[in-house]
Amino acid sequence: MTEPSVETKQSKNKEWEPKIIAFLCNWCSYAGADLAGVSRIQDPPNIRIVRVPCSGRINAYFIIKSLTDGWDGVLVSGCHPGDCHYISGNLVARRRFAILKELLEFFGIEPGRVNFMWASAAEGMRFAVLVRKATEIVKKLGQNKKFEKKW
Amino acid sequence: MVKSMGLETENKEIENNLREIARGLLKEKKVDVIIGYMEGTLPLLSQPIIIDSEEDVEKLIWNNLCYVNLAKYLVPRVPKFVNPEKGNLTVGVISKGCVGRGLIHLASENKINLDEIKIIGIPCNGVVNRQRIEMEIGEKEILEVSVFGDNIIVKGKDFEREFPYDEYMNDLCKTCKIRKPPLVSKSLDLCVGECEEYSNIVDDFSDISEFEALTPEEKWNQITEELSVCTRCYACREACPMCYCNLCFVDQNKPVWFGKTTDLPDVFVYHLIRAMHMAGRCVACGACSLVCPMGIDLNKINRKLEKIVKERFDFTSGLDPDVLPPMVDFKLEDAQEFALEED
Amino acid sequence: MDEKIFAKKDIGKLLEELVPEYKFYAPTKIKGNIAFKEITDVKEIELDYLNSKVPPKDVLFPQKEIIFEYKYEGKDVIIEERKDLEDKILIFGVRPCDAYSFKLLEDFFASGDFQDDIFLKKRENATIIGLGCNTPRQSCFCTSVGGHPFQKESTDVYLSDLGDIFLVEAISDKGKSLVKKLTWLSDAKKADVDKAKDLAKQAEESITTKFNFDLVTKVLDENFEHPVWQEISESCIGCSSCTFLCPTCTCFDVIDENDEYNNRGRRIRIWDTCQSCLYTLETSGHNPRPAKIQRCRNRIMHKFSYYPSNYDCLGCVGCGRCITACPVNNELRLIIDKILEIEEKSGEKVSA
Repeated sequence: MTEPSVETKQSKNKEWEPKIIAFLCNWCSYAGADLAGVSRIQDPPNIRIVRVPCSGRINAYFIIKSLTDGWDGVLVSGCHPGDCHYISGNLVARRRFAILKELLEFFGIEPGRVNFMWASAAEGMRFAVLVRKATEIVKKLGQNKKFEKKW
Repeated sequence: MVKSMGLETENKEIENNLREIARGLLKEKKVDVIIGYMEGTLPLLSQPIIIDSEEDVEKLIWNNLCYVNLAKYLVPRVPKFVNPEKGNLTVGVISKGCVGRGLIHLASENKINLDEIKIIGIPCNGVVNRQRIEMEIGEKEILEVSVFGDNIIVKGKDFEREFPYDEYMNDLCKTCKIRKPPLVSKSLDLCVGECEEYSNIVDDFSDISEFEALTPEEKWNQITEELSVCTRCYACREACPMCYCNLCFVDQNKPVWFGKTTDLPDVFVYHLIRAMHMAGRCVACGACSLVCPMGIDLNKINRKLEKIVKERFDFTSGLDPDVLPPMVDFKLEDAQEFALEED
Repeated sequence: MDEKIFAKKDIGKLLEELVPEYKFYAPTKIKGNIAFKEITDVKEIELDYLNSKVPPKDVLFPQKEIIFEYKYEGKDVIIEERKDLEDKILIFGVRPCDAYSFKLLEDFFASGDFQDDIFLKKRENATIIGLGCNTPRQSCFCTSVGGHPFQKESTDVYLSDLGDIFLVEAISDKGKSLVKKLTWLSDAKKADVDKAKDLAKQAEESITTKFNFDLVTKVLDENFEHPVWQEISESCIGCSSCTFLCPTCTCFDVIDENDEYNNRGRRIRIWDTCQSCLYTLETSGHNPRPAKIQRCRNRIMHKFSYYPSNYDCLGCVGCGRCITACPVNNELRLIIDKILEIEEKSGEKVSA
């Protein structure tokens, strides 16, 4: 639990790998992730998926709470704008994400911590490529330590 | 703004005009009650007052210390605005630009029925940045504050200092483009006194560009330093006319979303999410910063919010009650440059 | 003569000598506000101040305080009690009103069947060095609540600011042994003692805000349902600045913080305020104090009616922080005036 032990553990286990929480919408991105899986397209194992009904369901709380809980990155993915299962869920969400993204940056959170993407159920390849991209971005930023509480 | 006369004559003129209008409205029974400001008992403060008779009109004042956004008292209505038998009373609100904007924006969120209020518009000439003056005076007691020419004069037991008003105005007032309440063309009798129609408000937001250019690390350091003294009293929230939720997200305990302590992560998250909730809704009255007992400056954040909604959605809050606020609206062609794309 | 003196510039010497033994808290400037913080460098100490923004109660009763920590080891839960409670604390430069507030806090935390160990332990280990208040503010009214700008009660060592020097008086046993240890203090001259007395008189005279609180208590007891409360709470926005900056407010909320990723957690208490809607909200959803009128009333009743009946003293030290902190200027002086008006009016009725 103390700092040094974490470091030694890391140096032994090769490289540090980020942990990313991914909020995927049920109808497109989750199915896209599934497709990537069944198509045996390799994507990084860094993401932990939370399935939500629609990207419109994703409250800013989820994202900020994830950061305060110590996740190194957050990835949000929904249907392509215009293709939402609920017609306009992701359009409303998109405005919210735009503001959140800018605000996080304004408050001094590195822009790459929170990433947004669109991937349809037919885009297994795109899903894998973008997840890899997001993982690389977060990996470059290193551990998310800004919200660590003094214990 | 071009100042043709000294601040005190300007204030006197505003004050006389608003008293005259208030008296007229009460006389003709166009309003039941009027909410405005009265002289405070401490220097650097004013006090909200609700009057319902003509003789009390003389109590109404305008000086540059009227910080509170009076729209706050209408959502929810304070008991004096409701008659047990008649129901909601018609309320006249002494409105500087941001109070008028607040009322109109609240109407667009269906929190206020504009038929039940009258906006008594005044050409606001800004409010003083109280905290900044207090900080500069430091550990001496301020006994008297007055305006002379373009200066604010602060007197104490053995000191007297002048502060140029242009510089010691509240930061949001410095950049304010909507000094008179907006005129709503569809309901013209909503406004009495000085109101103005606004279109194509141009703002370059140069005041925050310096901060925006900093690296994330520098921004983080500055913001966390500013917030480090926060005591979580929530005065900013309570003074904000847009914070009308019955249960604020920080108070929710089923489940507990965010910590309630004064640890930096908790404080930071509170202010971040409050800012998020203010997007497209903040009317730039600056009450949140001016009421903060610890003197935290939230103006920069409010300016950023204004900038985001202006640039992204071409929206300025509180101008038209019939325009949907940006956060409940969408367009298929909204910008999405922030989303990840394949290379 | 019992009184000692030391030069203001020797404050570093004092700090140096006491820091190894005590956690030395003193007024310092943080982002433009005076606050009591632990000091290690003499340069941080601010001696020229009216009073601190946040009262020194937060040294003994901080806004956030850990009650205990726990961790999981396998299936066992191990509770770790606080270990720092035995540390000796020294609070330097406490104004007499704030010093008196420690007595009120003690009354609260020690009364009844449940003793608050954490606070009382800290209080026991705390030495309070009071500092006379030469320049009371307009908003100060300590003389009305039985205090005085040079009151020595509740302090261990009492200092008077005589310009370049401090006059030192040991008040309690704890203070006496502390002063005895500081052998480098020089004896005070009669002139110094007289000067301190003069200053005390001057300070007392400069207090202009005066109330008859016996009458206030009486009126409050009789007028719980009076319409004046509506008037009083009218402009209040419920921001709770007044309670958060009050030296005698003691309410707190207990919450658990879980760090589930590291198998540990802690129970902490944080300041709570009667001005918040959550304060009295019951699990059923019922809220006995649903509106500002009840909450405003509670604050005033608590200080000036419940305290006298529970602890036989007023729950207010007259520091005036709530007066200056109120952003809508709905301040205590006006509230008290309105309350006393009830009495005047009823008096008129009787005589008429």
